[in-house]
Amino acid sequence: MRKIVLIPVLFLLSLLVTSGFAQEMTVTGKVSEDGGSEIAGVNVVLKGSNRGTTTNDKGEFSIQAEKGNVLTFSYIGYNSKDVTVNASVLNVSLVVEATALNEVVVTALGIKKEKKALGYSVSEIKGEELQQARSTNIANSLVGKVAGLNITSTATGPGGSTRITLRGNGSIDGNNQPLIIIDGIPIDNSNLGAAGMWGGGDRGDGISSLNPSEIETMSVLKGATAAALYGSRASNGAILVTTKGGKIGKGLGVEINSNITMDNLLITKWKDFQYEYGLGRNGVKPTTQTEAMLSSSFGAKLDGTNVIQYDGVSRPYSAVKDNLTQFYNTGSTFNNSVALTGASEKMTYRLSLANMNNKGLIPDNTLDRQNYALNVNANLSKNFTILANVKYIKEKSHNRPKVSDSPGNANYTLINMPTSLSVKTMKQSMLDANGYEQVWGDNIYVDNAYFAATQFQQDDNKDRFMASFEPRYNLTDWLYVKARVGFDKYFYNYTAITPTGTPYTPLGGYDKNIQTFSEVNSELMLGLNKKLSSDFNLNALVAGNLMKQLKRQDYISGSSFNIPFFYDIGNINPSSRNASYQPYDMRIHSVYGSAELSYKNYAYLTITGRNDWFSTLSPKNNSLFYPSVAGSFVLSEAVKMPSFINFAKLRGSWAKAGGGADPYKLSLYYSLTGAHLGSPLAQISASTVPNALLKPLTSKTYEFGLETRILNNRIGVDFTYYNRHTYDDIVSASISGTSGFTGATLNLGQISNKGVELALNYDLIKGSKFTWDVSFNMGYNKSLVVYLADNLSNITVDNPRSQTAYVFQEVGQPFSLLKANSFVRDANGNVVFNDQGLPETGILKSYGTGISPYTMGITNSFRYKGVGLSVLIDGRFGGHIYSGTNALATRYGLTKETLVGREGGVVGKGVNSKGEPNTVSVPATQYYENLYNFGEPFVYSSNFIKLRQVIIDYSVPARVFGKSPFKGISVSLVGRNLAILMKKTPNIDPESTYGNGNAQGYEFAGVPTTRSIGVNLNLKF
Amino acid sequence: MIRKIAVILALTFSMGACTKDFEEININPTAPSKVPLEYLLGQAQLQISGSAGDPGYKVWRANFIYSAMIVQQMASTDDYYAGDKYTYNADNSGAYFADSYVNSVKSLADIISQAAADPANVNILSIARILKVEQMHIITDLYGDIPYTEAGKAFIENIYKPKYDMQQAIYADMLKELDEAGSALDASKYVPTTADFVYKGDVTKWKKFANSLMLRLAMRMQKADAASAQTWAKKAVDKGIMTSNDDTFAFIHSDGSTASRNPNSYNLGIGRGLVKGDNLQWSKTLIDMMKTRKDPRLGIIAQLANGDRVPADQKGLPNGLDKSSGPNGLVTATGDANIKNYSRPTDLMYDDADPNVLLTFAETQFLKTEAIERGWVTGTAQATFEAGQKAAVTQLVVYDATAVVSDPAAYVTANPYPVSGSLADKMTQIHNEIFILTASTFNHYEGWANWRRTGMPSLTPTNYPGNQTGGVIPRRLILPINEKAVNETNYNEAVSRIGGDTFLGRIWWDKQ
Repeated sequence: MRKIVLIPVLFLLSLLVTSGFAQEMTVTGKVSEDGGSEIAGVNVVLKGSNRGTTTNDKGEFSIQAEKGNVLTFSYIGYNSKDVTVNASVLNVSLVVEATALNEVVVTALGIKKEKKALGYSVSEIKGEELQQARSTNIANSLVGKVAGLNITSTATGPGGSTRITLRGNGSIDGNNQPLIIIDGIPIDNSNLGAAGMWGGGDRGDGISSLNPSEIETMSVLKGATAAALYGSRASNGAILVTTKGGKIGKGLGVEINSNITMDNLLITKWKDFQYEYGLGRNGVKPTTQTEAMLSSSFGAKLDGTNVIQYDGVSRPYSAVKDNLTQFYNTGSTFNNSVALTGASEKMTYRLSLANMNNKGLIPDNTLDRQNYALNVNANLSKNFTILANVKYIKEKSHNRPKVSDSPGNANYTLINMPTSLSVKTMKQSMLDANGYEQVWGDNIYVDNAYFAATQFQQDDNKDRFMASFEPRYNLTDWLYVKARVGFDKYFYNYTAITPTGTPYTPLGGYDKNIQTFSEVNSELMLGLNKKLSSDFNLNALVAGNLMKQLKRQDYISGSSFNIPFFYDIGNINPSSRNASYQPYDMRIHSVYGSAELSYKNYAYLTITGRNDWFSTLSPKNNSLFYPSVAGSFVLSEAVKMPSFINFAKLRGSWAKAGGGADPYKLSLYYSLTGAHLGSPLAQISASTVPNALLKPLTSKTYEFGLETRILNNRIGVDFTYYNRHTYDDIVSASISGTSGFTGATLNLGQISNKGVELALNYDLIKGSKFTWDVSFNMGYNKSLVVYLADNLSNITVDNPRSQTAYVFQEVGQPFSLLKANSFVRDANGNVVFNDQGLPETGILKSYGTGISPYTMGITNSFRYKGVGLSVLIDGRFGGHIYSGTNALATRYGLTKETLVGREGGVVGKGVNSKGEPNTVSVPATQYYENLYNFGEPFVYSSNFIKLRQVIIDYSVPARVFGKSPFKGISVSLVGRNLAILMKKTPNIDPESTYGNGNAQGYEFAGVPTTRSIGVNLNLKF
Repeated sequence: MIRKIAVILALTFSMGACTKDFEEININPTAPSKVPLEYLLGQAQLQISGSAGDPGYKVWRANFIYSAMIVQQMASTDDYYAGDKYTYNADNSGAYFADSYVNSVKSLADIISQAAADPANVNILSIARILKVEQMHIITDLYGDIPYTEAGKAFIENIYKPKYDMQQAIYADMLKELDEAGSALDASKYVPTTADFVYKGDVTKWKKFANSLMLRLAMRMQKADAASAQTWAKKAVDKGIMTSNDDTFAFIHSDGSTASRNPNSYNLGIGRGLVKGDNLQWSKTLIDMMKTRKDPRLGIIAQLANGDRVPADQKGLPNGLDKSSGPNGLVTATGDANIKNYSRPTDLMYDDADPNVLLTFAETQFLKTEAIERGWVTGTAQATFEAGQKAAVTQLVVYDATAVVSDPAAYVTANPYPVSGSLADKMTQIHNEIFILTASTFNHYEGWANWRRTGMPSLTPTNYPGNQTGGVIPRRLILPINEKAVNETNYNEAVSRIGGDTFLGRIWWDKQ
């Protein structure tokens, strides 16, 4: 193994050595389209070298070459052409490509393949768009662009994580997100800290740290077949990120990209809030300071008179309507990156540096990131090449927003504040004479919004290194051996301070979490690509991989600072300091192989196989073999088709995939929890019952599809049907806490996902000056929980803080089933009220899935000369959401619904226990406060249509630059999340979930959604 | 060439094949898979007390927010204190249940299953069995039918959805357990000492505690099954109940980590700051009663916000009021809206290192007095009662060395046992004592349970608008909603037996 590491090092050093040139001359010429108009930007490369150039806007080029050398001319949309140098002037004409047949995409293991050869669906996204329409988390930029790709952003502020799923969720309880692979190296995309039922903040994931400017392409391998070569870890598909390298023939180039984005609240006012009644309960406004310490808006009618507030000051008893805009700032993000690209005879390279500074919506929240990347590709000799990628990412955030439950969560306070209290007052009267939080309400766990935002402190730092070295040696012209060593390593440090004077813990508290992570993959591969006969070609490889993942988490915490306001662990009362560490050690060893046989460039058959051995599973069941087979048949090449069909391809595939488990799940462990009165303490550490017989889950997928282009290639259709069935799913089932444990690791689950994906492209207008393309994609996924375990019909996955709504996995139901505490209803559907006039508590009722089965996006792109406009509208349909925000707002008398019965009480509409109409009146305060115990009134359809993205871009034509150093200037104006065109949820954005886990279908006091508007400037020298 | 390929292939396959060390890699290096039973026993005690895990979690919710308020030992004008106004907060109502099973019940089930395997551990086993009864009886008294025989056995027996046992059966088994485990305690075998946070390894005291708890349970079930109650009460007294304040059952706490601190104190003091935050006060019912009875404990347990402990200055907060100036507002009812003018626990009572008192010698004397009066056990009622009174007023020194009552006899004189009174008079006197006793030791669960059985002292219910019960004092707590989700069938069966999961469902021993 050590030798493999040494090889790249040695050869990196030898890069400095370059060989001399033979006799050369300057070859010049002109490239035109079929002898007509000149073509600018054509790549001209000296075959077998890295030397190259591009044609200028007159189609002219100039390059050093020897007689007898071959020059390759290539340009998108034209057939490439090889021309042998026989004179110093060469005029070349290129033929427009007949079909889009030769589109090349990046597939598993980074192997570029012609798209027509693929028996499965792969979608590719170009880096350019990601660069223009930036989001602080790049995953958010993928929304609405790929059929079958479901991106759920979290309402956790900038730097928060996203949930990415492809073709539904294949595991009931396990990981459902695809493997993220950057330049061939799998990276850790786990969430470094998420909010749960009891609150917290989202500390981001792996993909969120990427610099969009570095990305050349993102390849989405949707199905198990596409990702079969990656084995267990890609059972949910994979996203391959290829970063930019140096370009052959471009010489030294400099690219500067600057981007400024401003974020504003998308929903600036609670439209469905009441502004008629003020602070108080039972229809009474406060008369004393103590009485004013209240978060209810069940007071008297607002009358503008001076009424005492929590800080003892009297202010007008009037509606405050601008609390949201007063509190939430305009967020801003500055992105600057510079990239240096170059190429010499023997190598190409790209060095890029990027800096991002983000100021969040919530006061005091910042996120800063620097990305450094170096990509080198060297041809050391005719047969030996080496590719090296090194990345360093530094990320730092201050006061990531807290969401969900109330402690330290400013968002919670905002949906809790009485109508007559201004957040400006909170700013003025934040601290008391001791510097402690001045208590403003009746629940000490709900902090002053500014105290929560500015006095609570959360800081995190992440240093991440990613590197890969890939030497390749061509043994013959058809046989090569390749090694790849890659690692992903990060150091992460998180400190959270609960300040002195926090009402619920006056002496404060300290939490520190240090994580180190490393994953090393060592791969060795032998590949061949041989023409077997004039009709048959074989492309095959065998490889092995060792994966070693080590994680270590250290926790240090304590409560009670001895010296107030001095926040260091050394200042914590020694008896209340705690330290613990969690190790995590996992190995997967694998061997795999693939063979692709093609016949006459229209029939392709690919067979792959991979065997994984897991360290985390029972030694009896720790090996799993994943085979796959895929076929592609290009009808339009094989048989004569009607002339309007330019291209038609059928494809189909079948694959088996699987997944492992986390370490240490096989046996019961104890944790040592400290000591009391000199006696050590211990308890069972797990809340999940271990399973000594754990075996890998398996899933079987088949898919077939049709790709066609018709009417002079103007209309393109790509359709896929897939069917994925998971067996032996490792399920951490929720079990009754009365069993002592809240979960059990079972190995029996089955889940099915079936769906279709459709992508349509229509070049509506294709003029020489004006073009209009429409592209539409949609995905539909039908999930079904088939089986859980013997005598187990459902499990609960999670629930929001109110504990009135639950996400279930239930046999016979779709994934992520939302259930909520319902009203009792009689046979006619009337709500049944008890003798006190309050609704009777019913069962947990199902409301459907929390994950929208339908996703779609439509992009209209217009281009007039150098100006482009692209508009993306996307939508999701068929899902449901429980809104904790609306539940809280109702409980505190803030929603319009609570106006009913303010005077004279609420007589709930329904019947009493005898079936007669309910006539018992309940005071509004108690009626609506009690309503919080029900989930039913706060469950909504999560359907939406959004104006997701608008990009206006302008590229200065190349001819303008003349002899200036500029090679390209482009400016774009970008808007993201510009408007919600349709939604069913009052007050909130239906995309407001705070967690990226498997429990989807509820929101609770998250960071409000923002609208972003930005300008992007790109300069190339 | 062929040879080269063969070498590479061989190398490739050998990479995947070496998995010998996998089993070792998958052993967690930081967590033992076996620990001394005493470590577990120690943790289990802190879990019962309520300090381990989320400190004070179940205690705040069940002891203060609900029990203390419902039984009018405490009161609050914060609407969060749902027991004060008989309103429902799902999370708080279900908390004691939810927290206990995953902590104390889980640990105890593990200890009992392990200790049973080795006769040398008979004392650890017996203590664990007794502690389990101490824990389970609080849960069943709060909720009624609960998982009992199958509880805590997910790992031991793979029971994931325990059935709910009938309270009658639970009581029968708890009494049997106390009898067997108390008898099985054997001073000649190994006895845990430092890990015993109650009696420090004093086997005799454990036996007395087992019998005293037996007496409490026996007296509790008398309306539902008088014959068994009599049998068990007699057995308890015959076997030997507590004989002095030294025998009182209390978890010893210290001011170390949060897990070490008294969970009541954690809530009242440093952890949640409920006293200084004016979140709760002593109830008017309690303070008035103590004043009338010239109770010397008043000056120890109650003070105004300004530190005034003069008994005459004490003012209890009426239950069922809010902070508003409306019809249910404090100012409307009393004319004094300043919450700082109402009595709350004194600083003496909630140090982190104070013991968590759960069964006192005094209580055993009061219960024995009742048993004597009912003719179930022999003895002199008056003397037993007076011993209880003296013990009750002098025991507060465990909270603070200065909490001394110098003349307990004066209290006895002021509140004489109605020797010649009716049984009802005697019952009133006995259970008024238990009411003050449980209040002054923050044992509000027991205060509420004893009140439900006896109806003493007679309490005036509040009728705050929109309450869940129509102005009737709650008889039980509502189970956690979560059980509907994770244990649906068993939950539904259990609540159907009491006509629905409401505050007014009558549990087995709580016969009308």
